[in-house]
Amino acid sequence: MRALFGASLKMVVRDRQALFWALIFPIIFLGVFRLFSFDSFGTTDVLVSLDNPSSPSQQALLGALQSAEFLEVTVADQPLDRAGAETEIDDDNINAVLLVSSDGARVDASLIHGISDPIGSSATEAGISSIVDSVNLQLMGGNPPIAFVTERIDSAENTSFFEFLGPGIIGMGLMNFATISLAGSLSRYREEGVLRRIRATPLEPWKFFASVVLAHMTVAAMQVVVISVVAEALGANVFRGGPPFFILAVLGTVVFLNLGVIVAGLVHGRGAVEGAANAITLPMMFLSGTFFPTGSLPDVVRAAVQVLPLTHLLTAMRAFVDGDSVVSQWPHLLVLAAWIAGTFVVARFTFSLEDS
Amino acid sequence: MAQAPGREPTTGAPVIEVRGITKQYGELTALDGVSFTVQPGEIFGILGPNGAGKTTLVEILEGLTKPTAGDASVLGHDIRTATDEVKKRVGVQLQASSYHQYLTLREILELFGSFYPRSADAGELLQRVHLADRAEARIKQLSGGMQQRFSIVAALVNQPDLVFFDEPTAGLDPDARRDLWDIVRSVRDEGSTVVLTTHYMEEAEALCDRVMMMDRGRIAALDTPPGLVRSLHAPYRVRMTTLGQIDVTRVSALPGTSEVHHFAEGNLEVLELRAEKAPPTVTALTGLAQDAGAEVVDLAVLPATLEDVFLSVTGRGLSG
Repeated sequence: MRALFGASLKMVVRDRQALFWALIFPIIFLGVFRLFSFDSFGTTDVLVSLDNPSSPSQQALLGALQSAEFLEVTVADQPLDRAGAETEIDDDNINAVLLVSSDGARVDASLIHGISDPIGSSATEAGISSIVDSVNLQLMGGNPPIAFVTERIDSAENTSFFEFLGPGIIGMGLMNFATISLAGSLSRYREEGVLRRIRATPLEPWKFFASVVLAHMTVAAMQVVVISVVAEALGANVFRGGPPFFILAVLGTVVFLNLGVIVAGLVHGRGAVEGAANAITLPMMFLSGTFFPTGSLPDVVRAAVQVLPLTHLLTAMRAFVDGDSVVSQWPHLLVLAAWIAGTFVVARFTFSLEDS
Repeated sequence: MAQAPGREPTTGAPVIEVRGITKQYGELTALDGVSFTVQPGEIFGILGPNGAGKTTLVEILEGLTKPTAGDASVLGHDIRTATDEVKKRVGVQLQASSYHQYLTLREILELFGSFYPRSADAGELLQRVHLADRAEARIKQLSGGMQQRFSIVAALVNQPDLVFFDEPTAGLDPDARRDLWDIVRSVRDEGSTVVLTTHYMEEAEALCDRVMMMDRGRIAALDTPPGLVRSLHAPYRVRMTTLGQIDVTRVSALPGTSEVHHFAEGNLEVLELRAEKAPPTVTALTGLAQDAGAEVVDLAVLPATLEDVFLSVTGRGLSG
């Protein structure tokens, strides 16, 4: 049995594609996200064109714009018309142009911006519109009945985006490796006749099967350690999760290993198996809060996502990093346990060691 | 159905005893009441076209598939109840790709050896099929002939008393094929009984002590290769090459001849036929040539082949 396990382990470790999914892919993600500077997110470069800079209204507006944190305001040397504004935007130095002109006592301010960044554009639009409203109120001499202040916090423990990402990448790596690699190995063994060859020996087939699954779990455990070390080195602070974090990660892998067995049982043909395994892991990777909190998803999708195992695995892993107790995560652990049991039963009935 | 009894060597209890084995796959009858025995120390060939039931039969004897009806014992063990005992003492060669692509040859032999109570040394096994210098290579890095040699030696890891070879020379060139024949003979010479399936009749002829011909799930004939040929109604092939034509209608009218073919080869005329008896046919043919004033350039008498036997017992060619 030990020789069998050793051989199975070698087979996983020597499978370059499996190693790619297990290690390189998640580490690339960590590296790429580390390169982004999320602190500079959310500022908009606005060019303001004033036809009469000495007018009190125009001065008040400019002052208010310049004091807004989310805007980087530049004032045009000379008044622009609409065509001039479009040229400035096309040159790509700025995100938007605010054309301000006076017509007698009345001041017109029109915002012109491109569509290349729809989310940023609408935020800019809303922001500038509220600035205009407050300047209007001020000029009319009114006191605003509601004083509005915003303050942004990411979580109680002040987690940075990269700290949020760390457990997500580890969970994603585990899922991809366990499901895709195990499904691929099992279908390869069946297709190449290895399963048949094994059945011609006195070895009980379940032992062979168990050794393959165990080898994948072992590699998954090594994978958690390696990715965690890289994530920690890059500043994700996953080590704060302690033993519960690592134990949960490895236990959670069982769900994805079961899914791999189910895929290998239901789908035949190597290419098809890999396709099906990807079809399961890819949506989960994007929907289960690997990269972004699930709260930003539409309600319907979010309800569906609340069923997925990766969602609960990541929520509990992040909670452990935040210092929450194991007991406090019981609802998520319960859902995961249900997934482990459910997928095990399905795997038991869909996969057969006898070939066709 | 021509079922020759075969001349069985009488040394000890049979290694394989099959009694009325039938295998149904739904509507399809893969094996239909097959009975035969294999004696110790034989190289026993199972010959037949694809779909004849060879593979199903061998899988049943290897313990991979259960028969629908009938029973069989292998090395004295019932294949229905003592599958594990059978598997321990039987060597199985499947097609070469049936091994792990991420392990080296040595690792595969050691892994498979670990499944058995007794096993042979991996290095010695590789030596035996001239693959000692490839011990650290992987299957995909080997040529077709090397892969086949490896699959043969992988069937010997448990020092089996009985070895099954499944089309061991499929797709190999003649040199590599002869190489493998030597290896198969050496396995027998060291005391194992060998059962091999093939659809190459020359392989069965050269290698096997006895040949069982299968067709559509039944035994079409079973005997030694010379015995099978002798059982033919017309066991000879006669081929005469002449300079000048002879009267073909008179050839066809000769007693004891059949399947008369003639064709031109350059300025020569070639005549081919099957004959029940060689000497009178040869005399008659040379007489006809003399009558026609044609010069006999070449005259050959050959025994009929297993292909001819297969054709005569099934009415179909082997390649079908």
